[in-house]
Amino acid sequence: MIVRLPTTARRALGAALLATTCLVGTVSMSRAETLGGVTDPIGVVKVAKGQPVFIGGMMVLAGPDLALGLDASRGAEVAFDDHKNMVVGHPIKYLPEDAGCSVEGGQAAATRLAANKNIVAVVGPACSSEARGGAPILWNVGIPNADTSATAPALTAPDRPVGLQGLARFVYNDADAAAAAVVYAKSLKVTKVATLHDGSLYAQSLAEKFGDLWKTGGGTITAAEAISPSDTDVRPVLTRIGSTKPELLFAPIFTSASAYLTRQKPEIATMAKVDVLGTDAVLSPAFLEAAGDAAKGYRLTGIDNDPKLLGPSYPALVAKYKEKYGEAPIAGYHANGYDAATAVLMAIEKVAKTDAAGDTYIGRKALRDALLSTTGLNGATGPVSCDKFGDCAPSHFAVFEYVNGDKETFELGKNPKKVYP
Amino acid sequence: MFDVKDWIRRAGWVDWFLLALRLLVMAVVGGGFISGLLHPRYGRDEWLSFAAFGLTIGAIYALIALGYTMVYGILRMVNFAHGDVFMTGGYAACFSLVACNRAGLLSSQPLLSLFLAVLGAVTVSALVAVLAERIAYRPFRKGRGLAPLISTLGLSFVLEYSARGMFGAQNRSFPSLPLIDGTVDLLGLVMPKTQLVVMLAAVITMIVLTLVVMRTKIGTAMRAVSEDQDAAILMGINVDRVIVFTFALGGMLAGIAGLLYGLVYKQVYFFMGFFLGVKGFGAAVLGGIGNIPGAMLGGFALGLVESLGPAAFLDGLGVDSPYQLRDGIAYTMLVMVLIFRPRGLLGERLSTARA
Repeated sequence: MIVRLPTTARRALGAALLATTCLVGTVSMSRAETLGGVTDPIGVVKVAKGQPVFIGGMMVLAGPDLALGLDASRGAEVAFDDHKNMVVGHPIKYLPEDAGCSVEGGQAAATRLAANKNIVAVVGPACSSEARGGAPILWNVGIPNADTSATAPALTAPDRPVGLQGLARFVYNDADAAAAAVVYAKSLKVTKVATLHDGSLYAQSLAEKFGDLWKTGGGTITAAEAISPSDTDVRPVLTRIGSTKPELLFAPIFTSASAYLTRQKPEIATMAKVDVLGTDAVLSPAFLEAAGDAAKGYRLTGIDNDPKLLGPSYPALVAKYKEKYGEAPIAGYHANGYDAATAVLMAIEKVAKTDAAGDTYIGRKALRDALLSTTGLNGATGPVSCDKFGDCAPSHFAVFEYVNGDKETFELGKNPKKVYP
Repeated sequence: MFDVKDWIRRAGWVDWFLLALRLLVMAVVGGGFISGLLHPRYGRDEWLSFAAFGLTIGAIYALIALGYTMVYGILRMVNFAHGDVFMTGGYAACFSLVACNRAGLLSSQPLLSLFLAVLGAVTVSALVAVLAERIAYRPFRKGRGLAPLISTLGLSFVLEYSARGMFGAQNRSFPSLPLIDGTVDLLGLVMPKTQLVVMLAAVITMIVLTLVVMRTKIGTAMRAVSEDQDAAILMGINVDRVIVFTFALGGMLAGIAGLLYGLVYKQVYFFMGFFLGVKGFGAAVLGGIGNIPGAMLGGFALGLVESLGPAAFLDGLGVDSPYQLRDGIAYTMLVMVLIFRPRGLLGERLSTARA
């Protein structure tokens, strides 16, 4: 049944709808709040006396790439331990969520974290795709995030969208990683290189950046190919790449795809003798478990583990890590997780105000601004200082090579061992 | 005889839309193919390699598709957990070979190792399939509606996450068999022995299956139940036994597929049954679900289209990174076949035979 309202009623209903829309719009655009004497344009978190300060975690914690996130998360936990699990007089409550190293996983994890209004900041993401899906959801509710291993240049680009402006990066930028890979490739005296990515934001932007730099330097990109993340048969694409006769294949792809590549490459006659250069996306025992003995000889770029380049606290971090988890670091991002968490704690200490009753108030925008203006942090990765777009980490790269296919032998510096510079 | 004027007079907008779609697809595929021929990028060896890759993965799709199609033929039910039965076979084969390797059998007794891997994969997959039938499907067999479908989906997740819990979320390296390492020269095409072995094993398995279905008493009973379950009961056939046998047979084929998959792609992981299961189901539908030769044909066709399609016409169209789109090509072909031939490639032959 259709009820036709009189003209006056329709006008009134229209006005009410318009007013509601404006009200909702106003509320979502501006959440300025004053609590306990702290005024912040996007809201204030009150932490009652004796209650914990909630810090979220958003990184891959399951699946073939779990080492990326778990390693960073463990680094963050060691940082909290170093602060005796207390910040501004409150215990720290760390709430990590699995973001699956995908856009959808990032969205799901961020949505769960954003639903908790007590969370003041998030450590992570660990993958660029997670950042693309999750960071805007977090920043939409005023939660800044301290990136531990998402390296895509777009995340801190000058023209990055508003949703990414709550992200500070405590790992290198892929623009630097691509440049380092180019320097290494040139040292091999090759001129013809092919690239392969898996469509993820990380892999695609790194492969493209490498290609641009390589061509600018006078080299030739014989093929710029892609697979989908679920591909298990990479032989057709290798056959296609082989038809272009490259001397090197730059493949910044993740664990599972890299293992398929490593094990199937020898079957393609035109590719059998072509070297592959991967990245620290495969810097984990999971790669050895998937690739087995075929991993021997596989080279990858990663952060240089030279003690002279890392921070003075790095050896202590590794010792605490081993003691706490009963194993050596499982990937190369524990120091980034440690620094990200430390920066978050420093930012909280900088902006939090505690009143006479022992309640603490933290302005959300003030916290984000403090995080993105981190300077002079003598972190585990070295000196940490953020630029105005949120790139904070030092970046010294090296090339590593796996020398053993047994996952039990994984230890950065030994397997894979550093081969360049 | 087809009367064009009559068709134009009767055609509605849906007919015109489908005609336009057909012409568009033909133009895209034909244009890409011709352009590829005019600007050849690959030599004979590359094309043969693409075909060999397609036949290898197609053989695995076909083995999985057979499980889907047999259960559908008997129960008119799609068993969405079948892909995960394949996954259990892959893990069983992997663990069998790892154990053989630790015992030193892989190098000293390679044939025995292979036999043990086949035995492990087939036994575990058949057992999982039979248990699935007993626990998750039989209670819903007489029911109507979507309960059996939901039950198969639920069981699929139970199997996946049980495997994840037991074996971990990481990919596991599948041991190589020294017996079939290396390459073989086949009429000028140098290909890995593994691929040849996988294709031969799949073909032999399909021949054995055909003999079981067409030449044995239980196979005759399967066909009878597939034709008319009530009439089969009246003829004294134990339908429950036939259904259990069908699940076991499908499980065995999935187990062999799991082993062959591991030998070629050299990794197993808990989620591997999902994508391969979807592809196997697609192959079964492509060939005409319920039709055993159709499942075989659908599997090989899907594998070949995936492997040859990107090089055959996407390259010609100037599409960048065409192999990223091979799933898109495969499923587009599936959709097109279903639009223009809803019963699949061999579905009509079955219905004609039945009629």
